[in-house]
Amino acid sequence: MKVLMKGNEAIGEAAIRAGCRCFFGYPITPQTELPEYLAKRLPEAGGVFLQAESEIAAINMVYGAAGAGARVMTSSSSPGISLKLEGISYLAASELPCVIVNIMRGGPGLGGIQPSQSDYFQATKGGGHGDYRMIVLAPASVQELADLTAEAFELADKYRNPVMLLGDGILGQMMEAVSFRPRTALPAQDKTWATTGCRGRARNVINSLYLDPEKLERHNRHLQEKFRQMAENEVRSETYRTEDAEIVVVAFGTAARIARTAVDSARMQGIRAGLVRPVTLWPFPDQAIKSVLASCRALLTVEMNAGQMVEDVRLAVAGARPVHFYGRTGGMVPSATEILREIQNIAGVAYGASVS
Amino acid sequence: MGEKKELRLSGTGGQGLILAGIIIADAAIRDGKNSVQSQSYGPEARGGASRAEVIIGDGEIDYPKVSRPDVLLVMSQEACDKFAFDLERGGVLIADSTYVQKLPAIDGLVYKLPISSVAKEQVGHEMVANVVALGAMARITGVVSREALTEALLSRIPSGTEELNRRALNLGWELAEKIMQ
Repeated sequence: MKVLMKGNEAIGEAAIRAGCRCFFGYPITPQTELPEYLAKRLPEAGGVFLQAESEIAAINMVYGAAGAGARVMTSSSSPGISLKLEGISYLAASELPCVIVNIMRGGPGLGGIQPSQSDYFQATKGGGHGDYRMIVLAPASVQELADLTAEAFELADKYRNPVMLLGDGILGQMMEAVSFRPRTALPAQDKTWATTGCRGRARNVINSLYLDPEKLERHNRHLQEKFRQMAENEVRSETYRTEDAEIVVVAFGTAARIARTAVDSARMQGIRAGLVRPVTLWPFPDQAIKSVLASCRALLTVEMNAGQMVEDVRLAVAGARPVHFYGRTGGMVPSATEILREIQNIAGVAYGASVS
Repeated sequence: MGEKKELRLSGTGGQGLILAGIIIADAAIRDGKNSVQSQSYGPEARGGASRAEVIIGDGEIDYPKVSRPDVLLVMSQEACDKFAFDLERGGVLIADSTYVQKLPAIDGLVYKLPISSVAKEQVGHEMVANVVALGAMARITGVVSREALTEALLSRIPSGTEELNRRALNLGWELAEKIMQ
């Protein structure tokens, strides 16, 4: 059955259904409905909700719970995620599975509270220190927030690595119909590595400190091999009307929803436009973009930032086609009309049409 | 893409417009349609401007924000002054005449209804003005069915207030019916 639910709350409900029983966080707009929801629901489900004294404390509590083998989540918004980055690097280094939700707001600095996508670099290019990677999932609807939350927990356990769910203030705050589909159960991950008390077995150690450079390099090689497997197996993307598209828009999350309307409007005017929507931002869907190049004359990347994902689009295209960019920042949301105008410009069609 | 209706409910913080938006979006889903509800989430307080937006459609709804509402509810003069000119040409404007005295000349159907006074005088609580408005809006626009709206309303109000709300909804419906005859 479909129910009307707010994006932030749908993440919370999906997390509980995915077996998450621990949440540590600190409130910040526009994601606070998620901890609020879990504060009520987690104790009912026999779990632990804890509002920490800070974001830094919260991410380190996640480290502890993940180390003990719990399914655990934290959430925040842009400036709060910056505070968590040291902890995220430690989690990746110590190979601890967890889900981190970022409902982005405009930056830099304390910025504002309105929706933005300006943490793409932070999410996909490390953010924290050291050579680590994490899978970054970019939902575009309340339904997908729910589906990808469930998937995030599975991927985190599968690779023993943090997974980030990257949404924005629009997705977190809006209400849409959602159904919580029963998922085909993955085989339970046997967390034999967890520190659960070593009576009757050898001692487990969870650690990210390797003072011997040879050992640290060996650890890094192991991590890199794991990241390579993630990149090989976990790429997800969606294409829309790209079969014969001459102008291909690339956009994720909220920007992709708006771009879809613009693509439809362009088609109505006889411009063959299409859309590639990365669902994983890391690993980035290079192949999906390469595969639309045959019919494509130019690409347009649309983001709610000053141009971040466009760098990965350009890497994927590797100079074979021109890659244009259109973005709004600071919490401003591009309209379908603005995007259509960019498509028209690139296609060489005159101004003037409006989008209904 | 199919048929799509954009609604904006505006007034003053505390009038229950966000809840009203949620109820109408919920009703649309119960009618088997798609809907998206969004609201401004700025640092607003009771007494400040407030608005909720709902898009209802048969197909997928991509753009979640409302720029040119087909249906506009204004429950304060400030909201009326701010949003009346956003109305889509030929759209429906419903004004709470309790608080909205000056209506600009616009290209659309204008309904002036004493929503808040009816809530206060006939239900005994101005608090349910949002529900009176919902009843009137549903009757005028047909955007959601009366059955679905009633179900959605009853599922999202505190228990013990069912009768009060039911009465408010019916009064809104009748208020619109009278003016439409």
